[in-house]
Order: sequence, then C-alpha cells, then structure tokens
Amino acid sequence: MNRRAFFKLSWGTVGVGALISAMGVSFAAVLRYLMPNVFYEPPQSFKIGTPGDFAFGAPTFLVEEKIFVFRDRDKGFSVASAVCTHLGCTVAHFQSDQKFHCPCHGSVFLPDGSVQHGPAPRALDWFEVTLARDGQLRVDKDKVVPPTYRLMV
Amino acid sequence: MNLIREIWQSIVRRDSLSTDKGKSELVFLNVWLHIHPAKVKKENMKFRHSFYLGFITFFLFLILITTGIALMCYYRPYPPQAYQDMKDLQFVVFMGPFLRNMHRWAAHGMVVCVFLHMCRVFYTGSYKKPRQFNWVIGVFLLLLTLGLSFTGYLLPWDQLAYWAITVGTNIGSYAPLIGGQLRELLLGGHSVGEGALIRFYVLHVAVLPAALILFTIVHFWRVRKDGGLSRPVWKLKQKTEDLVTIGAPAQLAPLTVPGSSTKTYGLMEVVTGKPIFETVTPEEEDDTVFSYPYAFVREAVTLMATVTTVMVMSLFLNAPLEELANPAKTPNPAKAPWYFLGLQELVSHSALLGGVVAPALMVLALIAIPYIDRNPSRRPQDRRWILWLFTFFVVANLVLIVIGTFFRGPGWALVPPWVHVVGGAE
Repeated sequence: MNRRAFFKLSWGTVGVGALISAMGVSFAAVLRYLMPNVFYEPPQSFKIGTPGDFAFGAPTFLVEEKIFVFRDRDKGFSVASAVCTHLGCTVAHFQSDQKFHCPCHGSVFLPDGSVQHGPAPRALDWFEVTLARDGQLRVDKDKVVPPTYRLMV
Repeated sequence: MNLIREIWQSIVRRDSLSTDKGKSELVFLNVWLHIHPAKVKKENMKFRHSFYLGFITFFLFLILITTGIALMCYYRPYPPQAYQDMKDLQFVVFMGPFLRNMHRWAAHGMVVCVFLHMCRVFYTGSYKKPRQFNWVIGVFLLLLTLGLSFTGYLLPWDQLAYWAITVGTNIGSYAPLIGGQLRELLLGGHSVGEGALIRFYVLHVAVLPAALILFTIVHFWRVRKDGGLSRPVWKLKQKTEDLVTIGAPAQLAPLTVPGSSTKTYGLMEVVTGKPIFETVTPEEEDDTVFSYPYAFVREAVTLMATVTTVMVMSLFLNAPLEELANPAKTPNPAKAPWYFLGLQELVSHSALLGGVVAPALMVLALIAIPYIDRNPSRRPQDRRWILWLFTFFVVANLVLIVIGTFFRGPGWALVPPWVHVVGGAE
C-alpha cells in the first residue's frame, strides 16, 4: 500500500466512522427527546379517605385511581387493581360470583385476583395500603403485595 | 385578444391539442402530468384489468388531505377540548358533519381499496420482476394507511377512540424487549392521556402523511419506469422472456430505429443491453393511444366517481361519536377499528402470539412474496399453489374480521349477530 492509498483509507475510515457515530448520537438524542422527563400524570401513591368511608362487603370502586377497595370485618383492608393484565381494560367486580370480569377479551379473575380463564397472562395486582398519620388510608401503586396482604384498622 | 392568447401561450407553452405534437407536449411539458407517458397501451386501460383501484386509492387520499385540512381548523388536540370540538363540528360548524363524514368514509374506503389493489396486483402477478421492490413499497403504503387510520381513530377523544387506542397500544407493549418503551414513546406517558393525544395528532397530520406522500411518489415513479401498468394477463404471450433490445450488442450492427410517420425521435444516448422494463415493440405501437384524452378522461371520471360516492355516503351515513372518553369505564365489548378486529380476535386468544408474532410474520411474508415466488410466469395456470396460499391468507383475514365485528358480544363472548343482548354484563 502506498502513501496515497494509506491516507485515503485511513481518513476515509475516520470520516465515515465520524459520520455514522454523529448520526447514531443524533438519532439516540431524538429518541431521548421523545421520552418525557416529567409526566403530568396522577401520582402513584395517594390517600383515599378514612377507614370509615368504606363499607363492609362489596368492594368500593374508585374511578380515577382504578382500584377496588375491599373491607372485610375480620381481615381488614385490601386494595386490588382494576386494570386487566391483558390489554389494560378496566375490569368489573361481580357481586354474584365475587369474580373480576374483563369486558374486552373475556378474562375472568378469581376473588384472589388469579386468572380463571381468558387471555390474561397474569393475576391482577394487589397494592400496599397503609394508614397515614392523619388517619387516612394511603395506597401505593408502586408497591405490589401478595393477595393475602391485609391492613387491620 | 392577442394579449390574452399570448398570456395563455406563456402558461401552457405547447402546440394545439388537435395535433399529435400538442398532445405529447401536454404531457411532457407539464410537471404534474409528465408522470404519464405520452402514449399508453389500450389494453392497459381496460377497467377489468386493474379496476382502477390504485387511482381510486390515490383520489381517496386527496379527499382525506383536503377534508383533513378543513377539519384541522376547528380541532384542538387537547382533552377534553378535543371532544368539545367534535361536538361543535357535529352540531355548530357549517357543513361540519358532512366534512367529518367524508373524512371518515374516505379513510375506511382507502383501507379497503389499498387492500383490494394489493389483491389485484397479486392475482395478476404484477409484482414479478422487475417490479419486486415496488410491491415492497406497496406493503409500506398499506402499513402507513393503517397507521394513519389508527392515529386518526384517537382524535375524537370519545369512548370508542379511547378504548380502541388503549387496547391497540397495549398490544404493542407485548413486543419482546422494547415493547414497554415503545408504548411509552408512542403515548408520551404511561397511559392514554393528553400526551398520547398530541403525539397521535402530530403523527396523523404531519409525520405519516409526509411519509405516505414520499412513498407514493416513489411508487408511481417506478410504475412509470417499469412501462406503466403491467400487461393484462390475457395479453401475455406464451414466452415470458420477450423483452426487446433497444441498443445494439457491442461490436455489432449499429442501432436502427423503426421508422414511423407519426413519431419523431429525440435520441439522447445509445446504450447496449436489455432494458429491465417492458417496452413497446414496433408491432405493439398500433396498440397505443395518446394519454390525452383517453387516459386522462378515464382518470377524471374515476376521480369524479370516487368523490361522488364519498359525498353521497356522507349525506346519508353519519360517522359515530360516542360519549366523552372515560378511563374508568370500559365499554363492553370494547372493540378496535374494524380493520384491526381480526387482530383483536387473535389477541383474545394470545396477546403475544396474536398481537405481535402473527402480524409481524404476516407483514414479513407479504414483503417476501416477490422474492420467494421467483417463477417468472404471470399466467394463473402456472402459479396455482401460490394463488391458493394468498387466497387462504385473504379469506382467513376476512373471516377473523367478520367474527370480531359481528360475532363478538359482551365479554368477547361468541354471540351471533341475530341474538340481541340486553344490556351488557355489568
């Protein structure tokens, strides 16, 4: 290889390499730009009211938060997600059979949230519920707990 | 009068249309018309060859652009104003419902016509060499059309829109590795909300139409470069390798151009070898007519028929608008747009297999068709098995869509359309 060919190859490699990396970095920057730094969405952890607000027996469905709040006389509070694990539709709780039914693709969840049948890939989530210092119940959707979790008040 | 004639001449700059030279110049001196050849083959213009489906699709797209721009003047892509604007378009804006209906029915029509056009191209074997890559571009155009329909579906911000997009984007999140991030990127958040609406709006009015226009230009250009529409199957000769040589082979006799009293040649370059496209042989020259008026009249009639059909439909059929999007209450059953109901039917059995794997394989198979089917013959009797395979693919899709549309009731239970379900399971 002579001098000229050597420089052609080396500078060519540097040039093409620089171009490709510049394009790669730019593309990555565009992707990163499209990922918001701040989500103006409802918080994952929130208060839902005092224990006295909730009746025994049938669960209370909270519309905005998409959760079911169960209150059992002996066992206490538990909170289940109302978002179907299949494609995100909101499930309904039937008093008649105590199961959760998804309207979109017909998934049925047992009272403990596990899948009875239908395309749902996994059980409904149960969220941690605690008592805040002001006496209100606090639910944290980032903390998934086993279905046996209960808060006694 | 002389001045008027001079102004007119300065605009058109061609000879009178009563002369053949004028007819040719009308085509090739005009930037919009020169995508046509000056002369077209009579047989290729036959309605029963192509059903003009490509033209109809393109004209529907023109309707969508014009009505879409009109609708943009009254639409704010922000919840809940978006829904209020839909109500305004429905009840307050002059001709609002008519424009919205036109946009809706033209959009549905475009999905149908793109699909039918694809079937026509397949059954006539028009994707074969040298048109393989134009078929691939066609598949991209089909996907862009579906993408435009899907993004447009969210904009009314009603229950139908909200839940169709919730289900649709959740299907995407099953894609391995990147699924979750893909959904977040598309929605600009973790659920369908204001971030998702503005992103879908940007995709719907800027990104996807621009991409569709660019691909359409390439699509048309390649059709033109490949010698116009493929020859009707009934005109095919026994032998398929009948390309003519325009250049003389090297070191042989010089090129002789057949003489003709009606054609004047401007020869720019003599090259050797075979052209990749179908050419008009001297014997076929008699089969051609000038694009003006024969092709242009047919196109104009097709355009008018398309616009009229959409307008009449828009007078009598109203685009649906349900109540304001309510994230807490999923309608039962919640259905995607009809062209995705086949997909939803698959998804109801398995989200990963039906929602990601099956559609991805389907698209890859469509793209691969011209490279797998390398049999050069376009005659149906030479390509039986692939015709059956494609027909199976079409019928399977249609059956799934029909099941999803008419046979699925509350809770996605199998309910025949003649059974009336009172209320939903609630």
